[in-house]
Amino acid sequence: MTAIYGLFDKPEAAQRAYTGLKRAGVATGDITVISAEPFEAFEFSHRDHSMILFRLALVGGIIGFVSGVLLTRGTELAWPLVTGGMPIVAWWPNLVIIFEMTMLGAIVTTVVSLLVSSKLPAFRRGLYDPAVSDGKILVGAPLTGGRTEESVREALAAGGAVTVKTAEL
Amino acid sequence: MSDYAVALTDDLLRPLIKTSWRFWTLVVLLLAVVSLGIGAFAYQVNAGIGVWGLNSPVFWAFDITNFVFWIGISHAGTLISAILRLVNAEWRRPVTRCAEVITVFALMIGAMFPIVHLGRPWLFFWLMPYPSERLIWPNFRSPLVWDFFAISTYLTGSSLFLFLPTIPDFALVRDKTTGWRNRLYSILALGWTGTTKQWHRLESAMQIMAIAIVPVAVSVHTIVSFDFSMAPVPMWHSTIFGPYFVAGAIFSGIAALIIAMAALRKFLHLEKYLHPVHFENLGKLLLMMSLLWGYFVFAERLTTWYGNGVSEMTVFWQTQRLSFAPLYWTMVTANFIVPVIILSFRKLRTIAGCVVASFGVVLGMWLERFLIIVPTLSHKYLPYSWGSYRPRTPEILLLIATFGAMVLFYVLFSKLVPIISIWEMKIGQHPQLAHESQTTDEAQTMWRTQP
Amino acid sequence: MSHRWGMVVDLDTCTGCEACVVACHAENNIPTAGPAEAARGRAMHWLRVERYWEGEYPEAKLKFRPVLCQQCDAAPCESVCPTYASHHTDEGLNAQVYNRCIGTRYCANACPYNVRQFNFFNPTWDKPLHLQFNPDVSIREVGVMEKCTFCVQRIKAAEITADAEKRELKDGELKPACAQSCPATAIAFGDLNDPESKVSRLFQSGRGEKLLEDVGTQPKIVYLKRQATA
Repeated sequence: MTAIYGLFDKPEAAQRAYTGLKRAGVATGDITVISAEPFEAFEFSHRDHSMILFRLALVGGIIGFVSGVLLTRGTELAWPLVTGGMPIVAWWPNLVIIFEMTMLGAIVTTVVSLLVSSKLPAFRRGLYDPAVSDGKILVGAPLTGGRTEESVREALAAGGAVTVKTAEL
Repeated sequence: MSDYAVALTDDLLRPLIKTSWRFWTLVVLLLAVVSLGIGAFAYQVNAGIGVWGLNSPVFWAFDITNFVFWIGISHAGTLISAILRLVNAEWRRPVTRCAEVITVFALMIGAMFPIVHLGRPWLFFWLMPYPSERLIWPNFRSPLVWDFFAISTYLTGSSLFLFLPTIPDFALVRDKTTGWRNRLYSILALGWTGTTKQWHRLESAMQIMAIAIVPVAVSVHTIVSFDFSMAPVPMWHSTIFGPYFVAGAIFSGIAALIIAMAALRKFLHLEKYLHPVHFENLGKLLLMMSLLWGYFVFAERLTTWYGNGVSEMTVFWQTQRLSFAPLYWTMVTANFIVPVIILSFRKLRTIAGCVVASFGVVLGMWLERFLIIVPTLSHKYLPYSWGSYRPRTPEILLLIATFGAMVLFYVLFSKLVPIISIWEMKIGQHPQLAHESQTTDEAQTMWRTQP
Repeated sequence: MSHRWGMVVDLDTCTGCEACVVACHAENNIPTAGPAEAARGRAMHWLRVERYWEGEYPEAKLKFRPVLCQQCDAAPCESVCPTYASHHTDEGLNAQVYNRCIGTRYCANACPYNVRQFNFFNPTWDKPLHLQFNPDVSIREVGVMEKCTFCVQRIKAAEITADAEKRELKDGELKPACAQSCPATAIAFGDLNDPESKVSRLFQSGRGEKLLEDVGTQPKIVYLKRQATA
């Protein structure tokens, strides 16, 4: 599959190209925007906004909490040993373990969710150009769904692309 | 790319690409120091803890002092980095990675000591909860088991907190290098490209991590303090220990950070990025922590003095006037008098001034841990069984080796990873573009504009 | 009937001769530290006689007290052991499981009485003591904590014998090594669950007090105060 992409110097230019591509009928999901730093203020970043990571972190925390309760209470009841005159299931000390496991659950879930939703580690690189590391912003679209190369090139040029290249994916 | 970004990338990648003989000399020296420590540990495992200076009743001394000290040092890193991130303090940008690195390595060193100090260290894994053949689990009422959980959680959290924002920088280095470096950084970058989705997810993850890591950090040193406060012995069984230790940890951590930053600035030529104002700001934080430390010490000692319990006052006078007085007053000078004087006056709050104050704090905080442990253990309730303590060579070698290990880890890290977060510095040039600061109307207006 | 073991030490009768200390060493295979290690503070007495004096000879006033593991009901050493090596048995004893101990030494730090000892090195015995081990007691290796067990090996042996003979244990039938060897019979040992036993009666004595009772450890040894000072 061929993709056409342009390299832009400034995020405003990339935004114009993005708007142009949308007007040319490219679906937002097909447009790739790649940069060496985030530009959350621009519309091209907004389509991927989601609060899923926060919700997943909460779920991870709950799983951690339950694991902590099961681990402490369960093992204390499995072989009840009296220590220091304390009850067999000692809630105050158990709270410490439960807290740590809750936080561990939230942290690990956050990281795993980040990696999975960003499709990292990526074994096959998608659309990319090392010029991005020189500060260029890449805006591109694949030539699928009957899209013509000219329409894409036109939209990119309207944004003021420094270069326009083709890539095989 | 702007001139600033070009210079930034060049300056921060130079240590990764260029290596001088000085680096290798330093590494060899540090490896020698660390191997002395490893040798001392091997000797101790072979012969027994008896090669140390411990005795009955002083069963903990240098070992646990080092443990608490290094876990304490680990606190500024993630805490400063996380808190500054959460309050959007822009000046944090060149500081965060230096700080996070300190956390991870100080934690690793500190976490060695629960293993090193054991009488039978080859059985350390019994602290882990796993289904064993003997059907027995760890005792969750023991603060040592809490230590295991807390430190594991904190180490996992801070390692991830360090690694995640490094991914885009690994991608940058990957694109700028060839050969084995390109292969190494390709793996470390995990195939990061920098799509808007990846950026958004990364920033969300960092936000969550920053929120989560703060209570974890607070809990870790509180739990370490519980190793002492849960024992009903004079001047350990105090309710103040939790907050006191956390404050002390942040205090020592900021000092370590200032020293690390000063060293990096000098040896990696980062004067353009680590400005005197960064040291000034950290110096102000250090001053505040010094005052807070003084406050806690005063509160604890005043309460003890008013309580006038026989056993407590014995330990009290040991530190204030008797055998431990020289160490005690050195600690007060190094932790409070010198830093407050230096850091209160802007003229003295230079980089050099902050570094001097920080060295004092590092010394003072090590002494503080020692003076919490040994005076109490050597003077418990029954005077006939009081004791004393003198360190022996293996313990001293281990202590020196921990400092060697910390510097070694740091040097190796800064050789392999840009020590200042490049992408975050780039954002720092125009922070309003990176954050969602515009309403939809504003945005619409902005991008309707034609060139 | 389940037992709850307790001990009474009569400080009036005790002469401070330390026969109990020696007997404890012999019974429990406790190593000798030797002069160098003892000077370093590593003498391993499970039971020691503490001496305190005021004034100079011949007006010196002397007090002494045998101190051993108090088998506390709210033992601070038990809750801090990460591996359950120190825990409470149904008979009220503080058990020390050598095989479970990894040597964190937290229990020794938490003990207000300093009765716990640590094997800083592999144990050695001055000759010919290496020939007189008690086969009923295991030898502890380096890195393991140990302390007075109320001679649990004797307790177990007596209980097994009584069980086999289908009878109850008689009061006074079972004595730990210290009680057995005291020439002044200052140490009484028995079952607190038996209201008729000697220790149960002595626990009610007006002379009785516990050591460091206000620390809250609930010790199970009662010391009977001296009637006159030396």
